[in-house]
This record gives sequence, structure tokens and C-alpha cells, in this order.
Amino acid sequence: MNPLDQKGMPVADQFRNWSDLNPEPYDKREVDPYTRTRVILMNGIEVESIMFSHEFHRHTDNLEIRQKLAMSRRADQVQQKVVNNLNPGDQTPLETTIGYEQVAVDLTAWLARHEPDPMIKQALDFALLEDFDHLYRYANLYELLGGKDATELTQQLTEIMPGRPTVVEHRHPMDDVRGHYNTNTVDPLTRLHVMTIVAGEQQTMNYYMNHSPEFMEPIARGLYTEIAMIEEQHVTHYGSLLDPLDSWLKQLVFHEYNEVYLYWSMLQQETDRRIKGIWELHLDMEIGQLQVACDLLRRFEGVEPAEILPKELPDTPVTFEPNKQYVREVLANQIELRTDGVDYVPLEELPKDHRYFGYQATVNDGGTPTELVIEQNRAKVQREFRDQTEGDHPVVDLRDPADTKA
Amino acid sequence: MPVLTPTKDDGAVAKANEVVYVEPSITVTDEVLAARLEVTGLNTAFVADLLSACLTHERCGTHLYRSVATRTNNPILQRRYQDFGEETLRHVEILEALIVSSGGNPNYVSPMARAVEGQDSKLLEATFLASGGLDLMTAEMAMLDAVLLAETIDNANWTTLGQLATQLPDGDLRTAFEQAVTQVKAEEDEHLDWALDTKAKLTMLQAQSSMMAAAGAKMEEMIDRVRGWLS
Repeated sequence: MNPLDQKGMPVADQFRNWSDLNPEPYDKREVDPYTRTRVILMNGIEVESIMFSHEFHRHTDNLEIRQKLAMSRRADQVQQKVVNNLNPGDQTPLETTIGYEQVAVDLTAWLARHEPDPMIKQALDFALLEDFDHLYRYANLYELLGGKDATELTQQLTEIMPGRPTVVEHRHPMDDVRGHYNTNTVDPLTRLHVMTIVAGEQQTMNYYMNHSPEFMEPIARGLYTEIAMIEEQHVTHYGSLLDPLDSWLKQLVFHEYNEVYLYWSMLQQETDRRIKGIWELHLDMEIGQLQVACDLLRRFEGVEPAEILPKELPDTPVTFEPNKQYVREVLANQIELRTDGVDYVPLEELPKDHRYFGYQATVNDGGTPTELVIEQNRAKVQREFRDQTEGDHPVVDLRDPADTKA
Repeated sequence: MPVLTPTKDDGAVAKANEVVYVEPSITVTDEVLAARLEVTGLNTAFVADLLSACLTHERCGTHLYRSVATRTNNPILQRRYQDFGEETLRHVEILEALIVSSGGNPNYVSPMARAVEGQDSKLLEATFLASGGLDLMTAEMAMLDAVLLAETIDNANWTTLGQLATQLPDGDLRTAFEQAVTQVKAEEDEHLDWALDTKAKLTMLQAQSSMMAAAGAKMEEMIDRVRGWLS
């Protein structure tokens, strides 16, 4: 499918009434975990689109561009409201958080498995192990606070066990800046992968930034605070991968194109008929928004969109599916990786006076909530919470001393 | 139609370094570039980078002319922008052919070309991102200034390529360089002269016009005035 050949829904027809913006939420007890992850991802994609559009708006006073951005941005807001309101009110922030981490694990792993550029794949693998660890920490908090089982949410589609321990993920800010792809040589799929993961991680960062104060329990507030700082690192890490050479209008076109690709992807795999209808509608809306962006690019930069876009959408949709073996392989091979400037290095190669250790000493001074949550849960239920459906942890040092299973 | 924005699908290749990632299969090195273009006495990898930068400037020039031709309110300027845009497109073809004849890849995007693309895209963006507060005449002049700046670099590039040709040993490559410069340089001179001359004319026209100083001139009057420039 080449979206440039499609007309899509005109942006002027995309506004809907308040009732339409407030659809019936899914049932958290019945929902397919991957429907939840699709909702979480597409909310993040819309948020990024909206915030990018606002930034663009603030960098121009060209009325025509500003007005067209305002139109498409309002339509994005419509889409964001519809998508985010699919989350039910009885799904607690912590349950939503576990959904966010399931997105982070299975989206990142899927992207890495399909990523053509080895440096981008490395960036995905690196952060994958960290988000994987966050899922384990939040699952333990879930059990600690309410005695609940996180597999009721993940449905055992994603394993729950330690990744690169969060306590060692805290890096000096300068070591989270990576290199970037070259906009002229980048594989179209790579560009879409990077834009998708940036949006997803950014939404996770935003979510944790905002929800930490809603908890009464100090351990929960501490855990959200600590992991929110890692999400800041991840947004820096992934945001680095984008080539800054692209103009504002080209970036706008790429944003719209990625949204087309993702709604098309969600449509291919959605099992909930009602929500599938939403993905279908939003795909049509995004094609209409893409056409507006393409017209702006053509008119103001003299660039034919076909010059910079692939001839058709990638034939493989972004898919939420189990990635257990892949995650285990990355765990087995990359758990000891750290970063040194823009490079990835084994921990043993970092000199003793590296800024990593200084930063670690500063932030972990006085205790670390991500460690504390495991200790507290272990003290309460005499084991930690894990869900290892595929056997022992591939890293011996990270096996549960009690070797028990939730 | 020549390539105006090289992409992976077009066969684009580039150098990689710690900040710019390029897939290994499409990464080139100075050694590879030098091996393809063997010229005694010259830094051949640098020449490959330079040709890529010159080509990128012509490609960006084509985009610039398309853009200003669409947005100008003056039919004479529009005609010029269209004509120069077509000539610039031919310059792209000529440079592509020159690079191919010298053993290079026209879709090699050198670091120098990245710098050029960065400058040229900002030059073009400057003609419209901040145009909301400009009256029509000022907006027209901003577009003309972008053309003048772009043509200044363009002219310098072709002058340099002409000088480079004199350093090449006798043979097919030198002939190819000389022919390319001969085909293009006169048009580049015309573009630059026209931009310089037109900027001066339009500046004087506005300086001598009482209407331009009158606050509250109606949009229709301003469009008519711009439309009537040079006619």
C-alpha cells in the first residue's frame, strides 16, 4: 500500500463530538494484553505527534503552515482522546504501568528483531534489557502493595524476571547520547522504527513523571521516581538516533507517514472488532493528514514527497507478539554492557575513575528503590515475584536464590 | 529524472563515523573513493567529497527554484525561477554524469554534502518559516536573497571545478571536467548576474516608491505592485 496514492479523510472532516471522544473502555479482565499494548503505544504516538506539531508551530510564524498544523494537531488530539479513553477507569495506574512495560519489552524486542541497521539494533537491544527489568520491579510492587499477580495482566505472553538491574542503569547523562542514522542512507524501516520507539519511550517517561506523586506508599513513589529517570535516559538515547538534518516539514511528513504505518499495523492484528474499527478510522484520518503535510512540503520546499518516502509501506506490520527467546538471548549476551560516550563497552572495560561510577555513587547513595522493592516483597511473601515460563534465567547471577516461581 | 534526494532505495552510500551510522553494506571509505578515482597529484577522496557537495548544492537549488517559483507573486520572477530551475536540473544531470564518468557514484553523499544540505535547507526554510510578519515585498526580497546566496555558492563551485580541471592530467577525465564546466559556467554566470542585478533593481524600485512607505497599504494593492515589478 502506498499512502501517497490514497486520498484519506480530509482533515476538515476529522473533528468529532464529545461523545465520540469518550468511547466505552475495554474490560481490563477480558482484554487481550496486546490490545492494551496497542492502545498504550498509539496513545504515545499521538502524544509525540501533538508535541512535535506544537514545537514546529513555535518555530514559524507562517500563517498558512501554522493554520494547517493547528488543523492536523486538533485531529491528532481527537485521535489521542479516543485512544487513551479506551483505558478503563478501574485499571489502576500501576496496572497501566505494567502494560507500559509490556509495550516496552515486546515492542523493543520486535523492532530489534526486524531492524536492518546493526547500530540501531544495538541501541534497541541495550535499552530492551533495562525496560525488561522495570517490568519485574513493577510486578513486585504490584504484589507488594496489593498481593496481586502481574501475569493476570501480561497473560504470560512476556516473561517477568530481572534484566539489567535498574540500579546499574543509572549512567552519567553524557553517556546516554548516541550517534544517529544518516537521513540519506537510512533504511525506511529504520526511520520508522526509531520514530516509533522515541514516541513510545517518551510517553512512558511522561507517564512516570506524572504518576509518581499519586501514590501514598514511599516505596511506590521512590520506584516511579527512579525508573522515570531511566526513561529520561532512554528518551535521550533513542532521540539521539534521529538525523537532525531533516527540515521541519520533512519531519512532519515522516511523522504522519509513521502514524499511517502504525495504524495500518495495528489494524492487521487487532482482535477486538470495535477497536479494530477505531484503527481503521484513524488510518484513514492519518492518510488525510499525510496529504496535507505532503502538500506543504511540495509547496514550501519544492520537494516531491515521493523523493523521500518509500514506494510503499513496509510489508511487515509492527506486531505485538511474544519475544521470549529473543529477550533471553540478549540477556545472555549483553547484560554486562554499559556505555562510554557514544560507544557500548563491557563493564570490565570501564576505567575505575570513569564518570559512570561517580554518577552511580551519587544517585544510589542512601539506598535504591528498585532494589528495595524486591527486598520488601521478598520479606513479605518469602520470595520475589517472577514469571519464567521458559526455564531458568539465562544469566546465572540473576537466578532467584529461592528458585521459586510465582 | 535525476535523483534530487538520494535515499537508500536510490543506492545512496556514505561514510560512517562514531556519530553518523551507516549500514556496513552501504558504507564507503576514503580508500574506496580514492581507488575509484585515480588522479595523480590530487587528493582523490577529497575530490569525490567535493563533487558530492557540488551535486548536493545543485539538487538543493532545484528544490529552491521549485519553491520560489510556486510562491512568488511576480510573473517575471516566476518565469525566471522556472527557467533557472530547469537549467539547474540540467546541471544536476551534468554533474551526475561527470561523477559517473570519473568512476564515482552520484548517490554517494559525502560529509561535505551533509554540510551543504544543512546550509541549503536552512536557507530555504528562512524564506518561509519566518515570513508571517513580512509584507509581500519583503517576502519576495527574502526569496530573491536566498537565490542570490545559493547562486553565489553555485558560481564559486563551478569556478573551483574549472580550476580543478586545469590540475588534471591530459586525458578523458580532464576533458569531461572541462566539458561540464563549459556547459554550465555561462549559465551560472547568468544566474548570478541576474540575481545581483534584480536585487539592486527591486531595492531601488522600493526605495523610490512612496507607496511602500505608506502604512496600511491594502493587500490587493501590494500584490498588484509586486506583480508589476520589472514589467
